[in-house]
Amino acid sequence: MSFRLVRIDDRLIHGQVVAGWLRALGAERIVIVDDDMARDEFLREVLTLAAPQGVPVEVFDLAHGAARCIELASTPEPVIVLARSPRTVVGLRQAGVPIEVVDLGGMGGGPGRRRLHKTISVSPDELADLRELERLGTRVEIQIVADDRPIPFQSLDSSR
Amino acid sequence: MSRRWGGLERSHMHRKSAAVGAALALAMLLAAALPATALGASGGSGAAIDAHKITVSVWQAALIAIGYYLANSPWLFGLAFFTLYRPLVAGFLVGLILGDPAQGTLIGAAINVPYLGFISAGGNLPADASLAGWVGTTIALASGLDPTKAVAIAFGLGLLGTIIFYGRMAVDSIFAHWADARAEKADIAGVAFMNVVPGQAFLFVVSFVPVFLLALNGPSAVQDALNALPIWTVNGLVIAGGILPAIGIALNMRFIFRGSAIPYFFIGYILMTATHGSISLVVVAALGLALAYLHLSFVRRDAPVRTETVPEREQAAEAAAAPAGVGSGVRLTRGDLVKSWVLWTFFAHANYSYERLQGTGFAHAMTPIIRRLYTSEDEIRAALKRHLVFFNTEPNFGNVVHGTVIAMEEQRANGAAIDDDAINSVKSGLMGPMAGIGDTLSQSALTPILLALGIGIAGGKASGTAVPTLAGVTGNPLGPIIYVALISVVIVTIGYTAWMQGYSRGRSFVTEILRSGTIDRVLIGAGVMGNMVLGALAASFVVVNLAPTVTIAGAQMNLQAAVLDPLFPGALALGLVVVTWWLLRRRVSPLALLAVYLVVSIVAAYPFFGPDHTSSSDPAAQYQVCTSALLHPYYACGAPPAPSTQP
Repeated sequence: MSFRLVRIDDRLIHGQVVAGWLRALGAERIVIVDDDMARDEFLREVLTLAAPQGVPVEVFDLAHGAARCIELASTPEPVIVLARSPRTVVGLRQAGVPIEVVDLGGMGGGPGRRRLHKTISVSPDELADLRELERLGTRVEIQIVADDRPIPFQSLDSSR
Repeated sequence: MSRRWGGLERSHMHRKSAAVGAALALAMLLAAALPATALGASGGSGAAIDAHKITVSVWQAALIAIGYYLANSPWLFGLAFFTLYRPLVAGFLVGLILGDPAQGTLIGAAINVPYLGFISAGGNLPADASLAGWVGTTIALASGLDPTKAVAIAFGLGLLGTIIFYGRMAVDSIFAHWADARAEKADIAGVAFMNVVPGQAFLFVVSFVPVFLLALNGPSAVQDALNALPIWTVNGLVIAGGILPAIGIALNMRFIFRGSAIPYFFIGYILMTATHGSISLVVVAALGLALAYLHLSFVRRDAPVRTETVPEREQAAEAAAAPAGVGSGVRLTRGDLVKSWVLWTFFAHANYSYERLQGTGFAHAMTPIIRRLYTSEDEIRAALKRHLVFFNTEPNFGNVVHGTVIAMEEQRANGAAIDDDAINSVKSGLMGPMAGIGDTLSQSALTPILLALGIGIAGGKASGTAVPTLAGVTGNPLGPIIYVALISVVIVTIGYTAWMQGYSRGRSFVTEILRSGTIDRVLIGAGVMGNMVLGALAASFVVVNLAPTVTIAGAQMNLQAAVLDPLFPGALALGLVVVTWWLLRRRVSPLALLAVYLVVSIVAAYPFFGPDHTSSSDPAAQYQVCTSALLHPYYACGAPPAPSTQP
């Protein structure tokens, strides 16, 4: 079986994820794949403590995260995987993690970033990564909260 | 597709849904106004609106429009969202402007109940409670409507108002780019300017104009509409005013009506019905506080205790990194920190945009810090750009992020090896978790409890529990005043403490507070108290009155008054609230519920079993009307007029 949710969100764990997705999907474990967070002991702990009681949070760098995801993908446990950038998900995909759909949940704007939809903005590199994901057979969708209707990335990526 | 509003998991109510709300509101407000003018005043049963009317002058409309703008502006120490934004407070102020603060308070309190479960976070706005409050109260007060009729109309206005919010979120992105351009020129004041002036100028225009027009013209349009409608539809609106609060209460229940706190909701409800509403909500809240203490001491044995001590090396690292450890060089003064906090508190949401959310607000708050720490143009430019990126957290509890980041900037300016990545990863790593905790704390625990308290003191009560006139009931302006005082103190205290502790203790403060379980305890205690207050509020505001009669032992008696209420007073209203909560949990959209409840209310008011004789003064005929529908706006139809049928 595959993951309940693989989400790209630059805020990782926050209200939309904890109160929204976690409960909507009945997920019991959160796996965060992010090199920066894995390196920083303090942020790792904050992320672990930010989830509700009884929901273990694991923080890995890409290499270990891929191994862990492959391991979890074969178990029935409902898991949410969070990453901050499309690059990480491309990495997971290339490492052989089966991901059918990736959800764009929060990608902030800034100089040099183009807004796709509401709070979802992308840099040129990220745009390329998202296209790469679609090429690898992973559907890319925007769905900020569980109640939203998912919007296919393809329908917004008009400039290809 | 299911949409819902309220909740941390609140959905997007985008323009499409807002248009639905607009249609709803306008249909109710204006559609019937056409036949009214066509047919003249004689068109309907004009007796429906008999209370004194107030004509809204141009100046009063302008003041109301300014009030609505202020409710969405940063000018009130950033507290507008917790104060002027709330219909309870708006109702009081509109009442002041129109010369009847007591009645305004009463109307505002009633309008506020459906918004108890209201939360806005992460750039999502479920409904614009401020438009419902400011315009809803104006229309109700000026038309002499009683609060229950205002509730349904105001709710439609609330949905309409999201157009303003989302329009602003989209346009503000442009101003964020203007701020980028100022940052490129290392223009500190320019960045601050761009965070405030263009966005607020735009907001003023899009807020002032529609509200001014609605305040000026809305009341007469609504009067005409109601006069043109048959009396039973107006009754339907009043019934809806008793039923719609169930949605707001149920939305808030989704956060606190769980686990071992559930019984307290019923305690609060029964306390209220058993005392026939004579107990003050302040007493209920005090009782709730006492029970919360007992609950935490005796019931909650599985309280999470995360007592591991901070690892030694982390403590060591902390000490080394602490701001006090920085020797000579540029130091921030307490004044800098306070100035920065004040700027954030005021202007965090001054230029709230889809693209950056609070990004420009963060940069603006950092301007005193940047001025103090950096002198070269390159450093200033880099620092401004560093903090203009996307940022979003809860703006009070989340201030630990700012405190921590300011400490890092100070160390960096004094030569510590802290690069952009380090600062960015602390910002982006902390803002999410702190927003999750902060929003839960401030928006789904503290605000609704204090609001419920204020509404209770305001004395708002669905007219269905009393006689069909509110002449004898006046609102108590102390309700909004006490609410504003309490919430302001709480919010500012949390914000200031988090900011300063974040700066002076940084990481250890964050981990300590997360580990200690203090937040869990506060939330559990708030859950107990919140359930009590919410239960009591449900008993006062949710009203279901069955009209049909039954014949028992030859006597014709009202089904509810004679059979149901003696068993369990208010059982029907309680059932409605619990069913609504259950439906919301089953992911039924609150908007759909709203529409269904509104339609059911109006249809149930139709006189199925007899003619409509409301204008008659014959008590027998009035009784006939009362029992001819399925639901009735006022308390159970009472005894039939002929004394011989009394049990």
